Amino acid sequence: MEKPKAESWKRTPQTLKPRGAARGAMKTLPAFCVVLLVLWSVSEAKFDDFEDEEDIVEYDDNDFAEFEDVTEDPAPESPQRVVTTEDDEDEATVELEGQSENQEGDFEDADAPEGDTENEPYDDEEFEGYEDKPDTTSSKNKDPITIVDVPAHLQNSWESYYLEILMVTGLLAYIMNYIIGKNKNSRLAQAWFNTHRELLESNFTLVGDDGTNKEATSTGKLNQENEHIYNLWCSGRVCCEGMLIQLRFLKRQDLLNVLARMMRPVSDQVQIKVTMNDEDMDTYVFAVGTRKALVRLQKEMQDLSEFCSDKPKSGAKYGLPDSLAILSEMGEVTEGMMDAKMVHFLTHYADKIESVHFSDQFSGPKIMQEEGQPLKLPETKRTLLFTFNVPGLGNTYPKDMEALLPLMNMVIYSIDKARKFRLNREGKQKADKNRARVEENFLKLTHVQRQEAAQSRREEKKRAEKERIMNEEDPEKQRRLEEAALRREQKKLEKKQMKMKQIKVKAM
Amino acid sequence: MSTNSMSDPRRPNKVLRYKPPPSESNPALDDPTPDYMNLLGMIFSMCGLMLKLKWCAWVAVYCSFISFANSRSSEDTKQMMSSFMLSISAVVMSYLQNPQPMTPPW
Repeated sequence: MEKPKAESWKRTPQTLKPRGAARGAMKTLPAFCVVLLVLWSVSEAKFDDFEDEEDIVEYDDNDFAEFEDVTEDPAPESPQRVVTTEDDEDEATVELEGQSENQEGDFEDADAPEGDTENEPYDDEEFEGYEDKPDTTSSKNKDPITIVDVPAHLQNSWESYYLEILMVTGLLAYIMNYIIGKNKNSRLAQAWFNTHRELLESNFTLVGDDGTNKEATSTGKLNQENEHIYNLWCSGRVCCEGMLIQLRFLKRQDLLNVLARMMRPVSDQVQIKVTMNDEDMDTYVFAVGTRKALVRLQKEMQDLSEFCSDKPKSGAKYGLPDSLAILSEMGEVTEGMMDAKMVHFLTHYADKIESVHFSDQFSGPKIMQEEGQPLKLPETKRTLLFTFNVPGLGNTYPKDMEALLPLMNMVIYSIDKARKFRLNREGKQKADKNRARVEENFLKLTHVQRQEAAQSRREEKKRAEKERIMNEEDPEKQRRLEEAALRREQKKLEKKQMKMKQIKVKAM
Repeated sequence: MSTNSMSDPRRPNKVLRYKPPPSESNPALDDPTPDYMNLLGMIFSMCGLMLKLKWCAWVAVYCSFISFANSRSSEDTKQMMSSFMLSISAVVMSYLQNPQPMTPPW
């Protein structure tokens, strides 16, 4: 064991041999360090001595010799010094002077009463200066202590999230209202259908059809389009192609709508549209209803605006209540329509009737096209339209639907009446003249557009022909086609010239 | 036969199938509420996500709910669901980034 040690020892001087100069340096380095250390500590002590002359004075043996107990004196003074140093850090330089004054005062006090300092660690007189200090600092700084609330995000309470809770409550209220409103609308629709089912089934073969089944069988139920709109299609009857009933309820499922309705009450509506066969209805346009509804319809509907240009007239002449007014193409139609039974219906259920509109030129509301007038007259259909208000002005109950049953009777009666009513010869002539006039007006308005359209079509044709000629590979064929096109153009020019000549002759 | 036609107005041979009305521009004309609300909901949720505004995200949730309540049956549910999800994700992201409670603007 010793041998390897001896060997290791031997090895180390061997390894160190080449670094001879470094060895010398290594020996002197520690000694140098020790000298430096000693010098530094001495200098520190000296600087400590020179920091505070007052401290030096304190620690003089002569001062402490006066007192019996040396250890007690530094004790009271050290807390003072601790306090003063803290004050030095916090406050301005002004305080330093005060502190120095206090220190001197303290020392003076400490010197005089010898016995007191021995027994009491803190003398009352020692703290004389401190009463002034807080006063001076407060008056000089004027920094009031403000108690700030703990910021909301640091609080650990649910109360700070009151807005979120409000939002969630609002959402829950909306969802509740959606469910309640949807159910109410559904119940009202079902109640209406149950009340009217018998009457409809006795008049129509097909009651209820959504158009998806292969066979034309009655579904026997309403077609739900929306949470507030229900459709029913009935077909298979004399004189009419079919009848579409639309139950337009209020948007009870939308809370915003419910709140808006509290300001402005609106009624549920039942809209009935009967499409008549061409041979089963004569040519006339006629409407009766509340004045407000008629004014609106006259503005919106294409046929009423064109054929019934007069303002809605009062129906008092025929025994109608003041709330109802009449829009008609000609007096004869009104005379024919306002028979006893119709007047009876209209008078008794005037509060539930919004509008009744018979027209052979019905094409829906006016279409606002961006490019200008449409190039073709819209397609027309012979239609009877009825709009009824459900009683209750929004606060409807399922049993209110029974009140609408007589109105359905009126609809059936009107269908038969429209089939039976025929204009006499004069009326027919007037009606035909009216229709011709409307068509002419329309053509005049669209004349420019139609010309432009025709021109563009002609240009298209020419372009297509030219392309055809270009695409022809055979040069012979090309030549022939070109010649044919030239001939055609020449012919056209000749024709135009002839026409101009004819016009000139006529003018002369 | 005549008594039949007098008493029974039904004609099985004249049955016409129901044809849904052509809906080119009519749905939008009738009631643009669901479309507007859908668009508003998306805008608000994007604002809430980008600008980290909590109230924007909450308004977006409300808009998507209103759009759903007013929607037509012809509208597909995918768009509704996507706007729902977007608004809910806006709310969740706003709170994940900044769990402080919402401060009222007043």
